Amino acid sequence: MSNSHLFMSAGWVTAPLNNGIGRYSGQLQRVVIKFCKTHGCSRGVREFVESNLIDFSRQNPGVAVYVKPRRHRAPTITAEYCNGERGYMHVSNMSRDEVYKWLSHQTTQSGREFCRYRKFWRTETPSIQGVWSPHTFRDPRLNLAEFPMVSTAPKDWFRFC
Amino acid sequence: MSALQRVTQWQTFARTWHLFDARWQNPFECSSLIAKHLQGRHKPIYHPLNDCGDMVVAINTRHIALASDEWIKRVYFHHTGYPGGATWTLAWELHDKDPTMILKKAVYSAIKNNLQRRTTMQRLFLYPDDKIPDDILANITNQIRSPRPVPTPLPDPASEEFQSFPRIAPFPEDYVLK
Repeated sequence: MSNSHLFMSAGWVTAPLNNGIGRYSGQLQRVVIKFCKTHGCSRGVREFVESNLIDFSRQNPGVAVYVKPRRHRAPTITAEYCNGERGYMHVSNMSRDEVYKWLSHQTTQSGREFCRYRKFWRTETPSIQGVWSPHTFRDPRLNLAEFPMVSTAPKDWFRFC
Repeated sequence: MSALQRVTQWQTFARTWHLFDARWQNPFECSSLIAKHLQGRHKPIYHPLNDCGDMVVAINTRHIALASDEWIKRVYFHHTGYPGGATWTLAWELHDKDPTMILKKAVYSAIKNNLQRRTTMQRLFLYPDDKIPDDILANITNQIRSPRPVPTPLPDPASEEFQSFPRIAPFPEDYVLK
């Protein structure tokens, strides 16, 4: 963990509603693509809209795609997810392939806020034999011992040393 | 989290009360042992961010044993902050004033200096003799083994045990016993 992660919330690897176990439902609900018809920085987005957008929309029928021409504005992609979160990214000066790649990236997201993973795995049963407790491997004779014990007590009674 | 998982966690992080008998023990040797239990470093679940330290009750601190001539050579320094406020106290003087202070300072030195140091020290209970309050004695469930064996003193010469001990040879007739 580095210092840049100090103010990032910490969490565990989860999937919304056990997504992917039995069935998978895409979490991306809506995509809004804004671009300019004349500026050069929107060129890749314009090419994407011309040649790839129809295919993308057919491949992802669960995603509503909105295309908004905005005069003299930088191109952006806004993605809205089932949980209400919103992803927003600038795609200025990106090529057609890059825009397609980032849009596909947004499609596969769960919409959950970025967090620092406490572990890169998650399990409900971290230990098969059971987690350790102070009573593990404890000598049952200690239950009846009188404290303070004299120093002549059997050495194997002192488990914690 | 199910009820079982919750209770399992309570059990894992339950505090254990340890007893430590400081009679005839070198406080600077056993301080690291006590500090280890206070911080929970003896547990397999230890992590610096875990709150898994245990309670330690140290008894008989009046009867600690310092090595060699440390009673007169070891000096405790204190400065009040005012000019001329420095004092140097010998170990035997400090032990006269407070029989628990030497062991307490030794354990304090054994703990690394961080924000948890004072909190960790609050889990240490020190008693000059073997009298423990009943409410604290009722919590104790384990005893830390003292690192050094307690030597058995010679019996009183006037006692039955001393007199009945078999002799190799009797004293001469003209030998004057002190």
